[in-house]
Formats: sequence, C-alpha cells, structure tokens
Amino acid sequence: MRAPSVRALGLLSGDRPAPGATPILALERPERPGDRFRRATRECLLALAAVDAMLEDGRASRAAIGGDRTALLYVTAAAYGASNREFIERRGGVTHFAYTAPAVVPAEVAIEFGVTGAYGILIGGAPSTLRAIAQAARLLEAGTCDRALVLAVEIFEECSDLYARHRRFYRWPLVETVACLWLEPGAGELQFESGRSGGPGRRAPDVGERFAAAPLADLSERWRDARAGALELSGRWRGEHARLRWSMVTSHARGSAA
Amino acid sequence: MATPERVTIAAAGVITPVGQDLEAFWSSLITGASGISQIERVAVDDLRVQRGGEVKKIGRIKDWRGVPDCRASRLLIAAADDLCAQTAFRPLPLDPERVGVVVGTALGGVEEGEKALGGDRRRRRLHGALYDGPGWNLARWLGARGPVITVSTACASGATALAVGADLLRAGEADAVVAGGYDALCRFVLRGFNALRSLTRDEVRPFDRRRSGLLLGEAAALALLTRETDAPRARLGTLLGYGSASDGFHIAAPEPDGRGLERAIRAALADARLAPDDVDFVSAHGTATPLNDRIETAALKRALGPRAQAIPVNSIKGSLGHTMGAAAALEAFMCLLAAQRGLIPPTLHLEDPDPECDLDYVPGAARPARPRVMLSTSMGFGGCNGALVLGAA
Repeated sequence: MRAPSVRALGLLSGDRPAPGATPILALERPERPGDRFRRATRECLLALAAVDAMLEDGRASRAAIGGDRTALLYVTAAAYGASNREFIERRGGVTHFAYTAPAVVPAEVAIEFGVTGAYGILIGGAPSTLRAIAQAARLLEAGTCDRALVLAVEIFEECSDLYARHRRFYRWPLVETVACLWLEPGAGELQFESGRSGGPGRRAPDVGERFAAAPLADLSERWRDARAGALELSGRWRGEHARLRWSMVTSHARGSAA
Repeated sequence: MATPERVTIAAAGVITPVGQDLEAFWSSLITGASGISQIERVAVDDLRVQRGGEVKKIGRIKDWRGVPDCRASRLLIAAADDLCAQTAFRPLPLDPERVGVVVGTALGGVEEGEKALGGDRRRRRLHGALYDGPGWNLARWLGARGPVITVSTACASGATALAVGADLLRAGEADAVVAGGYDALCRFVLRGFNALRSLTRDEVRPFDRRRSGLLLGEAAALALLTRETDAPRARLGTLLGYGSASDGFHIAAPEPDGRGLERAIRAALADARLAPDDVDFVSAHGTATPLNDRIETAALKRALGPRAQAIPVNSIKGSLGHTMGAAAALEAFMCLLAAQRGLIPPTLHLEDPDPECDLDYVPGAARPARPRVMLSTSMGFGGCNGALVLGAA
C-alpha cells in the first residue's frame, strides 16, 4: 500500500515515579479549563494533551484537524482499567459508568477538536498500533479521509497493584505514554505483516513497557532522522508479532522544528 | 476507483437469549418469541431493573477443558461451535496461520476484572480482564494462528468487526476470518445502565409512543468470512459495504440530529457502490430509548430520501434486549436470513407507533419479502456510528 507521510507527532511519556513498590513512571493528570472536563478521567485528559502536543509539533491550529475528512483510530491495551476499577469499587458517581467504555477516550478527542470522520478502535498491544497505522494508510489511499490521526493511550498507576501481581510478564518499569500521530497522503510504500512464528524483528530499544503506545514512542525517536529514508517498526503482544516497513516516512519539510 | 473485492459471509453461528444456534434464533425472531427474563446468574436485588436477555444455558459444549471459566469467552466459543457445526471448520480445514479472528465487544472480559479485584489472584483473571482476552481464547479454541483483533466501538462493535475482518481478506492477511461480536451480562454493565436510568421496567418497544428504554441482553454472533473467489456455493450472503463516523458531540448521548449516523450510512452505501434506491430493507439499531429511535428515524429519512418511506425497517431488540457488542452482527445475520427465507421478522412490542417515528417498522407479525440489499445501522457510546450494507446470496 502507499505509505502515508507523517505530518506531526505528539508524545507525552511518564517520568514521575509512582508511589508504592511497583516501578511505574507516571504522567500527571493534566488540567483543562471548562466545566465539561470536571468529570473527565485522567486517560481522557491525557489523550487531549497528546493531541495538543501533536498540533504544537505540526505548528497547526485546531481547525486543521476538525471535520468529517479526518479519521480517528484509537488503540489501547489497558487504559480503560483505571476507569473500570473506579466503577467496580464504587468510587465513581452514577455518571462515571460512561467513562469505562474505551470508546470514550477518542470521543473526548472528537468532541474537543470537532473530528467527525471515519473511526476505529483497536484493543491490544503494539501490533494493534502498527495495524492502526496500516489501516490509516488504507483509508488515506482509498480517499475515505484527507488526514488520519492514530491515538495511543496507556496508563497504569491506578492498577499498579494488579500489575505487580504478575511482575514477570512485563518489561519494567511500566511507562505511562500517550501519543497522537497525524498522517497524510504520502509517497513510497508501506508494508505491514504480522504472525506468530519467526522473530519479532527490531524491538524498541527503550527500557520499559508501554503496551500499545510503544511503536509511537519508537517512531518519535526515529522519524526525524529517517525523513528521507526507510523505517521499520515492530512490536509483540500475546505471542503475535507485527512489523511495519515504511519508506519515505515523510515528504513534508518540517523546517527547524524537526 | 477500483471496486473492492467482495467478501462472502459463508455461514454464521450464534448463541442468544432466544436460541442456542442460528436456526433457533431465526425461528424465535419469526414467531415473535421473547428472550427477556429475570436475571439469575448475577445478583440484581439492589438494582432498579432486574430483567434482561440472559442466556440460561451455554450451548451444546459438554467439555470446557482448556477454556477459562470466563463467561464472555464461553459465549464466543459457543457461537463458534454453532458455526463449526455448519461448516466443518474445526479442526481447521486450512493453514491455521491463514485464519484470522476479529471480534467486537463493548465490555470484553470486564467480569474477570471484577473477580480479580474481588480477590481472585489467578493470573488468568487479570489477563482475562483485558478486553482482548476473549478473542484470544476463541482463537486458541479454533486453533487459528492468523491475526487476532479485538475492536471496541461500543455498541457498534459487531459491525466494525465484520468490516475489519473483510479488510483482512482484502489485504491478503488471511484466507478465512471468523468475525463478529459478543458481550456477557454481568454486574458491571447492569449496575452501569441502571445508574444511567436507560433501562425500562416495561417491555422493550422500539419506535412505539410508549417506549421507555432498553433492556440489556447477552449473546455472541460469529460469521465465517471468505473472499468471493474462495467461498463455498452454499453461503449466507455478501458484505457489500461499511461506513463509520463519529458524532463528536457527547460521550454518552447521540447527536440530536443523527448527523453522524447519516454520514455512516452514506459512507457505507458509497463503499458498496450503491444508491439509496438500491436498499430493500433496513435493520435499525432501534434501542427503544426515547432519543435513539427518533434520531435514527430522522437520519434514515435524510440518508435514504423518499426510499426510506417505501421499505420495511425493523428492530429485533424487543426480542433479545440490547446485546451490545453482539447486536450489529446478530442484526446483520438476521438481514441475510430474511433474504434467504423470504420473511422479515417483526418489531416486537410495537403497538402504538410514535408519530415522530413514521417509517414502516414491521409491527405485529413477520412479513413476506425478498430483500436483495439490506442496510444495518448501529450507534454506540462515544458517538460511534456504524452502517453495514449486505447483499443476498
């Protein structure tokens, strides 16, 4: 398929050690003015902050991503865990139930930025994010949208004790990460493949576990250098590995911000 | 633009409150049977509404060895068992690496999370609480080793899953895909909808003047998708198109004019390369909440124009309750069975039509008809709108 170009990428990565014995690098709950956000969950507010960061990276206004020609693809493995727990343990009020749906995180983005185009929500780890990028490329290639946002959100702090029960299954520390990638029609080629057998390909070098947000964290480290060349992203989750080979990562001249 | 390769719905399997397999499901819809009953499996004494579409016994499977005691996973596997009984699809007749699984859900294995927080420390509980757990359990039961994808576009999830499954085939990532949706009734969701006051103490009456809300149901519904060139001669139908659109309006309430749903319908028809006049029958989301049915009627009228007044539109939620992640897949299969059997199931409990819902909602009894092109609509939390266009076999 035709590769999309990267217009911008916003990424927030946890750097605050969370209280307790579980090694988690957490993100602060962002403040956002307006009564609408009074009950909003941390994961929703962080998703909005990731989009803000993306707009800043792309030096673009909010209006640039509004409307029905923008597709929104959301990926998470576990960000809904915090809200689910709050509801199960009866700490949330009656209106909190709506926030337990994974769909509410991209909904807050859609409401805040006026994004009303095609959408998709994938639940899973890094391979799902790579798949979402491929899905965005198909939507762009088919002309279903003019731009596509791939949003990944992972938070861990509220469920730290649950993760701690199964320490050996994760690459510690867990690093809370939110990221939003802005894709537009591009040149070059994008190849996506996934499977259960064979090697996982190149693994993101950074220490820690970011679940679905890992490929975007990897991309944020590398795409500026790879602007004119090829890039490979890969990820693994529950025994599935996926790989994305991306030539001509961007055709945009991003100027001094790059 | 080239016409996308057509995807065949070769067969379907279900488990529902009105039937343990596809034939029983269909018979119940046609005869106007109701699957609504007192909920027995989980405690509901403290809840305002204690009824729903509960599956009282899961399928014909006697031996659950190797399958976690996770309700959502077992519903999925029971539907897969029905599918496999019709298609001889287990053990897999093709390379397992070329068989994909795509499931849609609003709740995933959230009941496993309730158990994990309730003190059950087994590793399986925590992994099962992640929303993609049941999909992986289904893949293991099938022996499928291709892509395993979970989508969660709230109550539009079943439609999204069928569309993503079709995309896997078109992209060449799989040669067969088991795709559909599921959700289980549990304390979590019953408490949630009770808190939102969306549930009715009356019957579920889609498009009726007296409608006062929905009841929840549980179900699983799975289709075997193949490329048209690989499809068996006997088949249920064709997936012709899919469209989605976000409301961008409110996290829990639909946009009052239904513009998002209208965009999704237009996108689905465009994807199918069809016009509104080609549509012969609509399966509406039809939850029976005061807001949903009025909004949906308005969206259908705008998207289909005069055609909306000329064709039957039904809702099967009066029979099943709202089966959340399974709803859109069940409704898609109902559309294809209607085309195959020449009967459109009635909208149960529609007795006094709302003047604001002025389409032909098939009240009373099943109606003889042979639709060739069907539209199925879905709306969900977060402003998720989805539409499928389906073709008769």
